[in-house]
Amino acid sequence: MTETAYLENGRTIEYLPEPIGEGTMKEVYFTQDRESVLCFYKGDINKIDPKRLERLRDILKKFNPSVGDKKHADYWAKLFCWPTGIIVKPRLGVITPVYPSNYFFASGRWKGKEKKARWFVSPKLRQLLPVEEQGSWINYFKICIILARAVRRLHTEGLAHSDLSDNNVLIDPASGQALVIDIDSLVVPQIFPPDVDGTPGYIAPEVLATAALRVLDTRKQLANIRTDQHALAVLIYEYLLSRHPLRGPKVHSTRSAEEDEQLSMGEKALFIEHPQDTSNRPKEGLPIPVTALGTTLTELFYKAFIKGLHSPYERPTAYEWERGLIKTWNMLHPCPNPKCTHQWFVVLPEENTIRCPFCQMAIHQPIPLLTLRSEKRPGHWLPEGQLVIYHGQRLFKWHVFDNVFPGPDVDREPQAYFSFHHHRWLLINQTLTSLTSPNGNRVDIGKALELKAGVKIRLSQEAHGCFAEVSMIGGV
Amino acid sequence: MSIRRLPVYLLLDCSSSMTGQPIEQVRQGIRALLDDLSTEPMAIETVYLSVVTFNSTAQQVILLTELMQFKEPQIQASGATALGAALRLLKDCLNKEVRKNTIDQKGDWKPLVFLMTDGMPTDSWEAAADDLKQQKIANIIAFAAGPGADVNNLKRITEIVLKSDELSPGALKAFFKWMSQSIVRTGKSVQVMAQETPIDLPPPPPQIQIVP
Repeated sequence: MTETAYLENGRTIEYLPEPIGEGTMKEVYFTQDRESVLCFYKGDINKIDPKRLERLRDILKKFNPSVGDKKHADYWAKLFCWPTGIIVKPRLGVITPVYPSNYFFASGRWKGKEKKARWFVSPKLRQLLPVEEQGSWINYFKICIILARAVRRLHTEGLAHSDLSDNNVLIDPASGQALVIDIDSLVVPQIFPPDVDGTPGYIAPEVLATAALRVLDTRKQLANIRTDQHALAVLIYEYLLSRHPLRGPKVHSTRSAEEDEQLSMGEKALFIEHPQDTSNRPKEGLPIPVTALGTTLTELFYKAFIKGLHSPYERPTAYEWERGLIKTWNMLHPCPNPKCTHQWFVVLPEENTIRCPFCQMAIHQPIPLLTLRSEKRPGHWLPEGQLVIYHGQRLFKWHVFDNVFPGPDVDREPQAYFSFHHHRWLLINQTLTSLTSPNGNRVDIGKALELKAGVKIRLSQEAHGCFAEVSMIGGV
Repeated sequence: MSIRRLPVYLLLDCSSSMTGQPIEQVRQGIRALLDDLSTEPMAIETVYLSVVTFNSTAQQVILLTELMQFKEPQIQASGATALGAALRLLKDCLNKEVRKNTIDQKGDWKPLVFLMTDGMPTDSWEAAADDLKQQKIANIIAFAAGPGADVNNLKRITEIVLKSDELSPGALKAFFKWMSQSIVRTGKSVQVMAQETPIDLPPPPPQIQIVP
């Protein structure tokens, strides 16, 4: 027995009459082939939101990056579960593809359940999952980059997701992939307002602080791009550090837990790692402080949770997060301890001893660090970024050229690799046609160059080619 | 940093009128409730469950227990309907087990209590009911299962009263299903609730009506 739904474009779809899920706004059904789901709005949506149909039409076409950006359509299609059609009968709704199979647990007690991010960021829940589902820390790092990129893509179009949370992002830590879901409530400022205030824990403080005000009250703050930026920062902090940035011990009301929570996440929200005001710092201490993630990310988190916490326009943009995460990715080093829970860590070059913050194991030999410089004005070579070198590290085009950004369409072919060979650090050229040694000689493809402190290497003589300056760090 | 708990108390009438299919339906209902809740990450993290049964006396058969540690209680139907004893015991449990909000402790969420009864109280219960209603230390949801229960009595305990016209397996099953939806909804929205607003419960299934 199936029922029939009618799409706006005239198509009909057979679906199974038993609902498979229910949210605040929608009721969800499988199509007969189980390859898509139908989400019907509950109640009289036209009364709640008369512009809903218009909004859906825009979301499906105008705002869909897989339609508007043909070149990267496949890339964006993997990051968003975008609706594919509008249902007009029996009720208004959308049809969306079923999530790819890697977003459902393949084994364990919760086999078949969606991999909502909550399962992975809560230490209590994570330990209940099969080990193979838990994923490695570097994959959470990858997920952060993907998520920042996905949110950046929405924001570039002027769209806000409006309800980014551990509930509306599916992640697969085993493969390091993420999928943004619940796209149909996208918000366009001044045109399509948000449906909901958001999900507890991810709602921006200004929205929570004014949540009790009536809809027409002009002081009421609604979800928008800045509130997405808050939620994004919370998610990134949770993925990398497995804790919530604002949930500390500080009590703001003894009247009730509900009132205390309202203040702790809203008006009185305070970063648990605020360097001056330590009143919300967990009493048991923090196993890994945010500073272990390096200066770039520390600054972004301070901007998000100190300066920008109550000043929405000061929050880092999704693009800043994407850049900052990629910059920090270049600072990752494998942990020498095979039993380390995290396996990778961020190198802090200013420390005398390079040490994994997760297991405390130190690396006692000095390791090379490349400082990449690009010619911003003729004759002016300014630092572009840094790259930590380890055995097997590779050099990509975005390291070689200052005008290449590791975005969706970048060439991911390694240009050279690094090797620790007979107690020497070597750079081995794979494809670079004008790699130049410090004494001005070309280094041919297949040939190596030794990395020593102070050595300057021209990675390419072509336009936008960078210099790499070697320093040896740590070793104490 | 310990997470706030959502304490949930089930107050179940196990008097002799529940004998047979109804008590079996309650056992299955508890099992289904556990199955439902244990697929919800939020519930696994925050929900703590306790069961209080009442017949000629009242007893807390399961102390407030973390969801994943919870073992189904053995429950039997027999005896009278000591609702008063159950309400007094509930108050003791709430006072003893629920973490208070103090200046140096993040306390528990306001507890949820589901009271299910199919008959008239056989002990003195009025004072205990007035006391609970006045103190507002929990969100109590009372369910009059079948024609034997008096909704006006339950209204004296809480504003939120539901009823089904018959004590059928379908109604009990529906009540437990709705209970799990209510717990999940409360757990997810609890943080955006202002102090005095009533809790936001999902609409009950067709067999069950809200008593206005």
